[in-house]
Amino acid sequence: MFFLTYLRRELRRRLHQAIVVALGLALGVGLVVTVGAAAAGVNKAQADVLGVLYGVGTDVTVTGPAAPAAGSATAGNGTSIQADYSPVSSAEVAAVAGLHGVAAAAGGLLLTDTTDTFPRGSGHPGSGPPATGSASVNGVDTGQLALGPLSAATITSGHSLTTADAAADVAVVDSGYAASHSLTAGSDITIGTVRFTIIGIAAQPQAGNPPDFYVPLAAAQALQLAGGSAGTGDVNMIYVTAASAAGIPAVQHEITRLLPHATVTTAASLASQVTTSLASAAKLASDLGRWLAVLVLIAAFAVASLLTMAAVARRAAEFGTLKGLGWRTRRITAQVLGESAVIGAAGAALGVGLGFAGVTIIATLAPKLSVTVPPPSAAFAQAAGQVLPPAPGAAAPHAVAVPLHPAITVGVVVLAAILAMAGGLLAGAAGSWRIARLRPAAALARVP
Amino acid sequence: MYQLTGVTKLYHKDRQTIPAVQDLNLTIEDGEWLAIQGRTGSGKTTLLNLLGGLDQPTQGSIELDGTSLGTLPETRLTRLRAQSIGFIFQTFNLIPTLTAAENVEAALIPLGTGQPGRRARVTAALESVGLADRANHLPAELSGGQQQRVAIARALVKDPTVVLADEPTGNLDEDTRDDIIGLLERLWRDRSLTLILVSHDSAIARLAQAVAVMTDGHVTTRQDSPNP
Repeated sequence: MFFLTYLRRELRRRLHQAIVVALGLALGVGLVVTVGAAAAGVNKAQADVLGVLYGVGTDVTVTGPAAPAAGSATAGNGTSIQADYSPVSSAEVAAVAGLHGVAAAAGGLLLTDTTDTFPRGSGHPGSGPPATGSASVNGVDTGQLALGPLSAATITSGHSLTTADAAADVAVVDSGYAASHSLTAGSDITIGTVRFTIIGIAAQPQAGNPPDFYVPLAAAQALQLAGGSAGTGDVNMIYVTAASAAGIPAVQHEITRLLPHATVTTAASLASQVTTSLASAAKLASDLGRWLAVLVLIAAFAVASLLTMAAVARRAAEFGTLKGLGWRTRRITAQVLGESAVIGAAGAALGVGLGFAGVTIIATLAPKLSVTVPPPSAAFAQAAGQVLPPAPGAAAPHAVAVPLHPAITVGVVVLAAILAMAGGLLAGAAGSWRIARLRPAAALARVP
Repeated sequence: MYQLTGVTKLYHKDRQTIPAVQDLNLTIEDGEWLAIQGRTGSGKTTLLNLLGGLDQPTQGSIELDGTSLGTLPETRLTRLRAQSIGFIFQTFNLIPTLTAAENVEAALIPLGTGQPGRRARVTAALESVGLADRANHLPAELSGGQQQRVAIARALVKDPTVVLADEPTGNLDEDTRDDIIGLLERLWRDRSLTLILVSHDSAIARLAQAVAVMTDGHVTTRQDSPNP
């Protein structure tokens, strides 16, 4: 009780100094929280973009070489189905799945459905050229739904593919495509020459450039064969999950040895190609932001320590008196440490508040990041250093504004609070060191 | 009983050595009131600090009831001050943020006394100096004389065997000085304290049982006074 009374009265006596020190610590802490939240937000935005291409849980993708330029025969009605990559056999998928360090592997088939629409009077003089449209089709292994781009989607209507749909002609349609073509769950759509029933509408994160259709792998393989493409009915992509994040490089290396003709990419290499501006923002938040926070914290710690030592010097006669009364050095030190701890706690609380304010400001005022997202097939080719010839009428790469949603995590708040307390206690330790060196007689000789 | 033998205290400043106390021999009996007089810079305060264990002699020995203060580790010396030695300073040295009662209570904290016990002893100590009604006042709300009374209460609350007073009336007017000295005398008699009081005021020194005069770090004379 005496301890708390003395502590409270002393802090009240030098309230201004206590506030200055607490504010200094709060500034550093607030910066740590804001930078941490911004970095988390950028990383999440990056993950959202990549998730569309990779799917949640995919660490490595394997693609065959880029498929030959379009020249596949049309299947009739002006449509053609083209595989975006050369095929990868089922045996190769199984071999990859059996590698050490691989937790799961699933095959996927990326196709582009190109449709020519001939205007009325086509073939007669004066008639216009045919309009070409295309849609991207992703064949999904319904036995491994946790891998691949569909795993990152949110079903907004109907339901997603299930293992029971393995042999069915059903499709999940991207929400953007569905809206532009007035499609709903339950309606039918023709892909290639096959009629599919739409069982669900899927929404991907805004920054993505997702496939237009997700169909069971068997249906995609049938489309490929029926569309006149020279495919073998296999897959042209393998989505791989590593057993651990640390094992991703080793898995990548093993797959490259197993399939020397294939292109093996990781999320990191894809990120550097696809989300360049996001990666730059992430690096800025991580490197510059972190160093700035560290420098401000060091300055705050230094100011707190100097002010505390100065306060101890001013109270030398008081501490000398207490020593004369029989107070042990550690009891006096505990008093000073207690005062510093309270200031540190105040700095922590203020700092977290400043951090939340900073995050709000960033979320409100920060310019949107821009990401150029190619179609999925082009993305992987780009990451592998290949140039994939665009399918006629295929979706062009487009810039997508990625809103930055800074995310304050409990871990960052706890870290910031610990840093503020550490700063306060460091200042108290500096003052305590001074007290320990104080000779009572010399201290009493100082006029207060 | 204090026994000082060949006590010397040297201070070093830049390249100079300043002898504050030189080869001092002194005996102070239990229950004695000794006044120490001398001009400014004669070593009075240094001697008091040595007697209270606030400083260590450069040479010689200081024994209190057979215990050499110079050989005690700091923790035991601190314990000795907490239990047995009370200090009264010229500038009162009250903690400005604590009330009169809390300042007195500060002297009991090192003894580990529980709060109820502390409260009772603090009340009794303030009553003995006539300030029970000022218990909740801060030092800034008290006069100089009242502050010194609080300091006296703080020195006596732990029932010490020795009280060391360094110019206790130096900052007070004449009337207040007489009150304080009268209070000290009464408490000395009632409690059979060993009271060692430093003062340059001869009128105060004459009230003591014995007067030691210091000059340049030496006790040049020591004589008993007629005060019984």
